[in-house]
Amino acid sequence: MPKKLPKLLRNSLFLGAFLLFSMSVSFAQQTITGKITDENDQSVPGANVFIKGSTTGTTSAADGSFSIRAASSDTLVFSFLGYKMAERRVGNATTLDISMEPDARTLNDVVVVGYGTTRKSDLTGSLASVTAKEFEKQPLTRMDQALQGRAAGVQVNQTSGAPGAGFKIRIRGANSISGDNAPLYVLDGLVVGDINSLNVNDIASMEVLKDASATAIYGSRGANGVILITTKQGRKGPAKVEFGYFTGISNVVQKLPFMTPAEFAEGVNFAEGKEFYTPQEIDALRNGGGENWQERFFKTAHSNNFQLSVSGGSDAMDYFISGNLYDTEGTIIDQDYRRYTLRANVNAQASKKIKVGLNTFLSHEKSSGNRVSLSGGLTWDPTTPAYDADGNFNFNTIKPGVGNGGINPLVGPLNNVRDAYDNRVTLSGYANYDISKNLVFNVSGGLDRFESEANSYVPLFVNNVGNARVFNSSVTRLQNTNRLTYTLDSNPNHVLKIDAVHEQQLVTRQSLEATASNFFSDLTAYRDLSLGSIQRTQNNQSDESLQSFLGRVNYALFDRFLFTASVRADGSSKFRPGNRWGVFPSGSVAWRLIEEDFIKNISTISNLKVRASYGLIGSQAIGARATRAIPIVSPDVNYPLTGGSNTVGVAPSSRLANPDLTWETTRQTNLGVDLGLWNSLLTLSLDLYHKKTTDLLLNSQLPSFVGPTVVTRNIGAVENKGFDISLGLRVLQNDDWNINSTLNVSRNRNKVLALVDDKPIELGNEYIGTTFPVNPTRVEVGKPISSFRGYLFDGVYQLDEADEAAKYGRKPGDAKYRDLNNDGIISTDDISTIGDGNPNFTWGWNWDVTYRQWNLNFLLTGSQGNDIYNFQRGRMMGLGSGQFHAVHADYLNRWTPDNPSNIPSSRNSIELLSSQFLEDGSYTTLKSVAFGRSFEGDLLRKVGISRLRLYLNADNLFILTKYRGFDPETTASGGSDVDLGIDYSTYPINRSFTLGVNVTF
Amino acid sequence: MKKHINKFFLLALAMFVSQSCIDLEEDMSSILTIENLRTENDVVAALTPIYRQLYETHRNPHYLRTATYGADDLTTWEAGNKAPLRVFDRFDYGSGENSDIMWLDHAWDQYWRIIYFSNSLIDGLKTANAPVAIVKEADAEARFFRALSYFNLVRTYGNVPEILDGEAPTGKEQRATVLQNYQQIESDLLIAEANLPKPGATASVGRVSSAAAKTLLADLYLTWGGWPVKDAARYPLAAKKAKEVIDLNFFKLLPIDQLWRLENQNSRESIFAVQFSPTEDLRSSFPTAFSFHEARGYSDAFPELQFFRDFPAGPRKDATFATEIPQRSVASGAIVTRNPATLPWEKSQRAHPMYKKFTLSEDITRGDRTVGYRAVELYRYAEALLIFAEAQARVGETAASVEALNQVKRRAAGLPYLTPNAKVDVTTATPKEIVAERGWELAGEYKRWFDLVRTESVAEIAAKRDPKENVDLVRMPTDAQYIAPIPFQAISTSELVQNPAGFKIK
Repeated sequence: MPKKLPKLLRNSLFLGAFLLFSMSVSFAQQTITGKITDENDQSVPGANVFIKGSTTGTTSAADGSFSIRAASSDTLVFSFLGYKMAERRVGNATTLDISMEPDARTLNDVVVVGYGTTRKSDLTGSLASVTAKEFEKQPLTRMDQALQGRAAGVQVNQTSGAPGAGFKIRIRGANSISGDNAPLYVLDGLVVGDINSLNVNDIASMEVLKDASATAIYGSRGANGVILITTKQGRKGPAKVEFGYFTGISNVVQKLPFMTPAEFAEGVNFAEGKEFYTPQEIDALRNGGGENWQERFFKTAHSNNFQLSVSGGSDAMDYFISGNLYDTEGTIIDQDYRRYTLRANVNAQASKKIKVGLNTFLSHEKSSGNRVSLSGGLTWDPTTPAYDADGNFNFNTIKPGVGNGGINPLVGPLNNVRDAYDNRVTLSGYANYDISKNLVFNVSGGLDRFESEANSYVPLFVNNVGNARVFNSSVTRLQNTNRLTYTLDSNPNHVLKIDAVHEQQLVTRQSLEATASNFFSDLTAYRDLSLGSIQRTQNNQSDESLQSFLGRVNYALFDRFLFTASVRADGSSKFRPGNRWGVFPSGSVAWRLIEEDFIKNISTISNLKVRASYGLIGSQAIGARATRAIPIVSPDVNYPLTGGSNTVGVAPSSRLANPDLTWETTRQTNLGVDLGLWNSLLTLSLDLYHKKTTDLLLNSQLPSFVGPTVVTRNIGAVENKGFDISLGLRVLQNDDWNINSTLNVSRNRNKVLALVDDKPIELGNEYIGTTFPVNPTRVEVGKPISSFRGYLFDGVYQLDEADEAAKYGRKPGDAKYRDLNNDGIISTDDISTIGDGNPNFTWGWNWDVTYRQWNLNFLLTGSQGNDIYNFQRGRMMGLGSGQFHAVHADYLNRWTPDNPSNIPSSRNSIELLSSQFLEDGSYTTLKSVAFGRSFEGDLLRKVGISRLRLYLNADNLFILTKYRGFDPETTASGGSDVDLGIDYSTYPINRSFTLGVNVTF
Repeated sequence: MKKHINKFFLLALAMFVSQSCIDLEEDMSSILTIENLRTENDVVAALTPIYRQLYETHRNPHYLRTATYGADDLTTWEAGNKAPLRVFDRFDYGSGENSDIMWLDHAWDQYWRIIYFSNSLIDGLKTANAPVAIVKEADAEARFFRALSYFNLVRTYGNVPEILDGEAPTGKEQRATVLQNYQQIESDLLIAEANLPKPGATASVGRVSSAAAKTLLADLYLTWGGWPVKDAARYPLAAKKAKEVIDLNFFKLLPIDQLWRLENQNSRESIFAVQFSPTEDLRSSFPTAFSFHEARGYSDAFPELQFFRDFPAGPRKDATFATEIPQRSVASGAIVTRNPATLPWEKSQRAHPMYKKFTLSEDITRGDRTVGYRAVELYRYAEALLIFAEAQARVGETAASVEALNQVKRRAAGLPYLTPNAKVDVTTATPKEIVAERGWELAGEYKRWFDLVRTESVAEIAAKRDPKENVDLVRMPTDAQYIAPIPFQAISTSELVQNPAGFKIK
């Protein structure tokens, strides 16, 4: 039990669960037992059995058996996904064996596509589907975890180990250089901003739309791919109560190698060329003293997750209500995260023609704590203990000016206040009207509002001033979709479906920032800004809107030839009239070869379909007002002209206006094949694709001397090509065993085809303060969007190379960089592309092994061929603008005349930007492994429990990598695509062990 | 009944759909424009960012001075994170290398930003509806800052492209010549000196006056006479403009022990200074950069040993250098004094004296580092006197020019500066002696390097460098080291040609 979870809440959760399950116990006259089997006489576990017109029911056990008490006048209803519902009158029977008939329609899994659903067998585009069944065995807290390694063509990176944060999802690579490459998230038909706070337990399925035929229906927002998230709905039948709880501990396992305090002191003496530390001081350090900062910063973190849901329904109504509480600490000190979510999905058949529904979702997240900086903190002086003999902080280093210039890295995290709250409301409703048998009119709409409050305070105790900040921001999305669907399916040889849609969306963003400083008391922290004598406020608002018209035709000829054509026209407020509207057409065909006699007769082939698609998709993934040069109004342009107080200033924009800006367009071709062999023992889905993005929304960098520093232009082209393979294998399936394995492999090659005058551009962030006037990454024609640049490091000038070193103004012991153009100087002309952060391929391999009640589920993921620029190591070697002395254990092997190593012992001007700090970031990790056992039976049934599952899970149990930093998966660049794979002060991923229970009442 | 419900529902749906329509125009109501400057307040609002940018440029002295560390009034910590400063201290540049080091781009970016803001204002004023007098004055002010920025750019990096008001970026910009840069600066300053208010005419202490324009013009002419253009015909003009400043009879020299106090900022000695503000917590890093770590600074800049040794003893030396280095620590967020409170400079961490002129006004109550709020002097009256003395000496010294030099010398000796005093007065002085005097008077003030370059005496001074300096020279400097490489970002995003190939004098 978490010590922080209020007892009351804990108790009420259990009480609620108890009350709900006791309701489902009712009285009946006789016990009917039986067994449910499928068309192949295989037992069907988990089927619903209930008394018609009541809420009494049960589910079948692993061997398909069931037991229910009912009156002879009752009718039992049997239902199971993919099978036709069966009804049997009880009469005098005490045993009822049921053989369920497959439902042709649902056996061909229905998948959600843009603005509708379709049979999987009717798909003409490329789509990856992940259903709850595939991930529900793992204790997940976020939806991105559910996607990771499970969908081909989808790259999910955990960019940070911080609680409640840090995933990056890319579908088939990055198209855009300046624009956002995150996919579009559509939650139950509503386009939502982000999916961080979603409760993964509410998700029924996620469909990832990858090719143009699937995404072009989303027009200007589809180019990065679309993830359709469908939440769970109640099913007709008695109330089903599900309760889940898990608790876990996490640790940072990989640690970095440091020198001991005494070794550090010797290193300082070496670097300074004089005796900073006396031999006596060094001896004292050798005998103890100093500090191990790494041990101070990391800790074992506890987490708890409670999940409770109730679902059910009748002929007229169904409901799904779910609540979740997730509470976790960080593995870095003083990082806490808590999330509450609540969902209620309700559908009602208001009349024979009218169906309405409402999905509501609320979440509240709290994250608190001031994170210690792993860059500045781990490199702080190890000879100064965190606390002095009296238990007070040693604020500064005992020897002035060693390590780096910060204050004791524990002071901030242990004294500063940070409380951040995120609230989300997502409401989406629809009304469906059957105008006639073939024509359906659907109006839907929704609101997604996200509010964020970030509060912080640095007390007087830390900086003698007191700085408070309150930052409130909100994003409100309003959407309305009106759809007419015409279906003509009376002749099975000619099935036609036409959709016509009008959609509109409005997004408004607001922010308000208030800061105050010079407090005289720490008592109220950020809660009363008026206590600070200097106060500033800043606010901002912007809006963007979109109007869309779209149409789609699906036509199936003889159930063999499938055609889909769609077109969408989007008008965006981000562009000026004249450039505002974009049209995005697509078309695709599929041929179900399995329906052809010449294939049908080959008994080994159980499914064969080939697909081809082509289409145009757009992107407008830039901020509002990107076409305009907006003057700067902010405290940063004010000045005390009259001495003392500021005069308010208005400065010209740092952006050059470009009224001609318009859509970025991606043309995508996809060829795919779906194959099933030996009665679907082996299934293979292979897709080859080629994407070319033109008219890139490119933030071109202007030289600072022209004034404005950036202009967004439609220039350049980027290509992505590759393949996605999804291989499913039913290894073993019999009464006792069920072993399934799925392997996904994705390969994407990204290449920049054209830029402004084909000159390389730099767009990445600076990661180490002002360390690089040159960015470590750049965008270059012929290379992937993000490629690393730097000098080529050739080790250290040795004693016998003194003459050569002298030519470059260097001496033995200095770093040796390659003079690429042989001009006798090492200048920026010798900077070259030395690697890139894009993997050659990524893969995920999921295994699910069930033996009777036992289940083992594990997921291996990997990435091959990506480089990482390890600037964390660079700083630990004492380099960069913020660091004075080395702390890394490598420094022990520094070059000296007696130790002719290849680790430079002096500092020059190039320092970090070289291949010395480039490393191979390939890895293979056991992402998760869950081992569980299900319990069913009379004993449990007597207390109302139809199913109980206990499991033990481990995340990131091992990682195989040559990478020398904490973690090859996390990155400082977060969601950025122009500077992939930079490691600096990143929060490493944790190894977690979780113990959990799921109970179904 | 059911049928009716259905019909009503369909009707309501249709009404809803037809009534909800989202507009595609961006809401621009929260955006202010500077295209129409109607009132004096509008003009001041557009002028303010230029000043603010001047503050950004000067508040971190070591960033701004990065390319000037070759002079003897500055050296830096031989270890730690000062690699970029050491590059210039040890002359590790000159063939285009080290254009990608940090801090070198500070002066470049910040001065260009001032030019951009100034250009925008000059352009906006062409169509402004504000009163003519206000427009004229603001135009002159913007021209002064444009000139100041170009002057520092051309002195630091060599000839730069000429970007003026009303020009849109083309991507094809090329570097003008040094001479063309000088001529443009001159033309701006001639307008500025004519249209700016006299010193003391405005209540805004921070705003620029015609005296500042004249001093800058004199400085330009003095530079123009030396390397690289070497147009000796400019020296008389330098003397003339400096003399005009003296003849305003507005400025004074303060007693040297008073000069660098916080309360004496914006005194009659100050011709133009950048403002800081404790009220707004607009801080200066001067005390931080010029203090050692043990004094809660960053050890960025301190004088070379030979420069300190050669510095004539007396009240000015005492006011310029701190030889007792404060020993400090931090407890509970605040700076506290250690025991002993000071150490002699020889025993200090950096084994150098510190610049007292920049630490005297420090504030050690604002967190864990020493900071400051004193205005930063860009031109002091002492410099106007010395420009006059030197420029006149180059064309034939006069009693007035020697008197100007003597005033500075008397004040340096702690004497009343207007009263002749045989103990310190000279009767004649060579330009070289006056340049040396400038070195002492303006030590650490971002002047010495430019003096050494225009008088081509960098090598001579470097030869005197104390071998005990911990930063080792990579080479003896030649004129290849007179200008810094242009920061790499500018080269890689434009068609500019890097030094030395792109360096064009005339």
